[in-house]
Amino acid sequence: MNRPTIHARGVCKRFGGLSAVNDVDLTVAEHSISSIIGPNGAGKTTLFNCVSGFYSPEEGEIHFLGQPIQGLPTHKICKMGIARTYQNIRLFSQMTAIENVLVGQHPRMCTSWFESIIRNKRCCEEEHDAHRKALELLAFVGLAGLEDTPAHNLPYGAQRRLEIARALASEPKLLLLDEPTAGMNSQETAEMTDFIRKLRDSRDITILLIEHDMRVVMNISDQVTVLDYGLKIAEGKPAEIQSNQRVIEAYLGPGASALSKKFREKKTAYAA
Amino acid sequence: MKTSLKRGIRIGFVTGFIFIFLMVIGFTAVGTTMIGNLLGTLDNIGADARLPVINLLVLICIFGVITGINISGKNEDHNWLEIFVGGLSAGLIGGIFIAAAIWGIGSLHMQGVDFRTYLPKLTPDELPYLLFYSTPSAAATAYLMYFFIMTVATALLKRTLSIGNWMAKLSNRANLGVKKLTTKISFKNFFSSKLTIVILLIMVGVALYFLPLVWGSYWNYIMGTVAIYILLGLGLNIAVGFSGQLVLGYAAFFAIGAYTFAILTAPEPHGIELNIWLATLISIGTSTLAGLLLGLPILNLRGDYLAIVTLGFGEIIRILIKSDLLTSLTNGPNGITNVGQPSWLGKVFTDVNYVHLLMLLVLVGLFIAKRLKDSRTGRAWIAIREDQTVAQATGINTFRYKILALLLGAAFAGLAGALFASRNQFAGPEDFTLMVSINALCIVIVGGMGSLPGIILGAFVLKGIPELLRELEDYRLLVFGALLVVMMILRPSGLWPAGKKTSSSPDSDAIIQDKGELEA
Repeated sequence: MNRPTIHARGVCKRFGGLSAVNDVDLTVAEHSISSIIGPNGAGKTTLFNCVSGFYSPEEGEIHFLGQPIQGLPTHKICKMGIARTYQNIRLFSQMTAIENVLVGQHPRMCTSWFESIIRNKRCCEEEHDAHRKALELLAFVGLAGLEDTPAHNLPYGAQRRLEIARALASEPKLLLLDEPTAGMNSQETAEMTDFIRKLRDSRDITILLIEHDMRVVMNISDQVTVLDYGLKIAEGKPAEIQSNQRVIEAYLGPGASALSKKFREKKTAYAA
Repeated sequence: MKTSLKRGIRIGFVTGFIFIFLMVIGFTAVGTTMIGNLLGTLDNIGADARLPVINLLVLICIFGVITGINISGKNEDHNWLEIFVGGLSAGLIGGIFIAAAIWGIGSLHMQGVDFRTYLPKLTPDELPYLLFYSTPSAAATAYLMYFFIMTVATALLKRTLSIGNWMAKLSNRANLGVKKLTTKISFKNFFSSKLTIVILLIMVGVALYFLPLVWGSYWNYIMGTVAIYILLGLGLNIAVGFSGQLVLGYAAFFAIGAYTFAILTAPEPHGIELNIWLATLISIGTSTLAGLLLGLPILNLRGDYLAIVTLGFGEIIRILIKSDLLTSLTNGPNGITNVGQPSWLGKVFTDVNYVHLLMLLVLVGLFIAKRLKDSRTGRAWIAIREDQTVAQATGINTFRYKILALLLGAAFAGLAGALFASRNQFAGPEDFTLMVSINALCIVIVGGMGSLPGIILGAFVLKGIPELLRELEDYRLLVFGALLVVMMILRPSGLWPAGKKTSSSPDSDAIIQDKGELEA
């Protein structure tokens, strides 16, 4: 139970001379919602890509439920139980919604190509179950009735949710969400926040997310990790991060901390 | 007003230019002969061996009509004046253009200039016909008059009948009707519809069985070619249409299948003379093996790179077959003759049996492709086509599935190759040029990527229409090329695009939705 879902130590990823991620440690507790935040270009998505296998880190180790995963191809990592969504939606746009979810179930199915030609009993049963499960998942993310719509015809919010449904279809133990509320208005954002919490509670999965919307981050995170220029500059509960000097400096520049201190003093004085 | 004038001038210019071009390459004679065939005025030739002038006039009028139809655009509602101005300008410009060319050619001809050095079709026999056997200026006036009058008349006539609007309305209504009909059938009369489908299938099956009996051997030969190309298209469709791997040297697998079959069944040069059916299976096996050997090192490449490497592979195989190195095995450029013919219970297949066999195999191929498409495997392929990186991150072993697609594609090509060799009783290196690969790829693209009915349609269009166009002789490929260009403009995603929803236009969907909301 105490085994962390993700345990990364000293992860480094460089592109030429640029250290996108530099010696980062990350521990994600099981059944938690953790966030990675940081200014643009801080290396958040690079770290994500290292965890999901898109990049293989040059140094360091990443353990998923006790097993090392660095350097494995993405389909193996997916099969082990890590699924992700993308910052800019990457659905299979010509396929319908239900087909997208069915593709998501691929690693949990075992029909071979020959079995699908002769359609033996196992194939039929598996296909039937997969369809039923896909419909359930679509209903779960609120896309019931849209299953036969091509993915590129869906509205933006629905595409985001479909991407999550596709990720969930592979029955992950860890779900990586890359800016799940990007481009959403405040009401949609609130819905998405509730949805992420519901996801964790009802499906028993761990969630790691990148997010720019601080209201979302502070609202749902159990733990927040802050990156800046590839370095981890802070980690802790949302409240701790909010008052962390280095974080404020990273976001607002040096001197901002003094400003905010002044502001806080003024505020307390006002209150008094 | 100004726009319609512009449009008229442009259209007149274009049609005039096309007409002059066709005249210069000598197509007018072919065109008029065809018109003569249709109208039955060909008997008038004879006495003085003169083609009847009326056919040429009809041809000009046809061009005038085409110009006139084009004056009013598809969706625009023009008023009378605009149409009139457009028709006037188009007819005048086109007519003057043609007339000037005729006058020029005619007067040069009168002065005794011989055009044959540059334009071999403008012979001294042909030219007087183009001039209506009269003076250049008279002919030019006639061309101008007929073209001009027909253009203006057609433009006005089209406006009177408002054919454009009428057709659009009709097609909309038809779409709606079909939609209503299909929904009704699929929901209310499910069983009866299934019965209808079964009856329809039986009828088609019976027709397919009896057609080769009445067609005659010429059509059986053409249909055999079409069927072999359907098999090729089905195979290539798995690699290109489903999994999105652009394989350009597909003829190589076709060649390997054909040569394996030929070597195993022909008396020369090895005298193995194996059982036909066993040889077919081995042919499928060898081309699949070739697919594996090609695929393992190169399938990590993407897009253009893969296309180039496979293109090279196709040429290498063809050149290898021709080379001295393999002459002892493949008979070099001479090819292998007397390849075994299929037989059953001691009876050699006639061409009718052969077409039946091909039809059966096409059906089996369609069945396999269809089943694969609707399965876990097919979904994985299409996901790879859409976005390979994401497909892999969704748990698909992309390399394995790409290899599988190539292997199955190669297997289809091997089967097609064996059938091809056994039908022609010959396998030679020149049957497997780059054009075969390109033709197969065209079938997939013209039909619609990843669409199975599209493959059949594409094979008929690409292999059947050139046969139908034989009437046009030298101009066959010209007309065929023009048809392809027009088709790709009108239906850019193929004749029968894949996918259920994309085939209907979004407009009709919107109409249905509106109706539904009104009723609700």
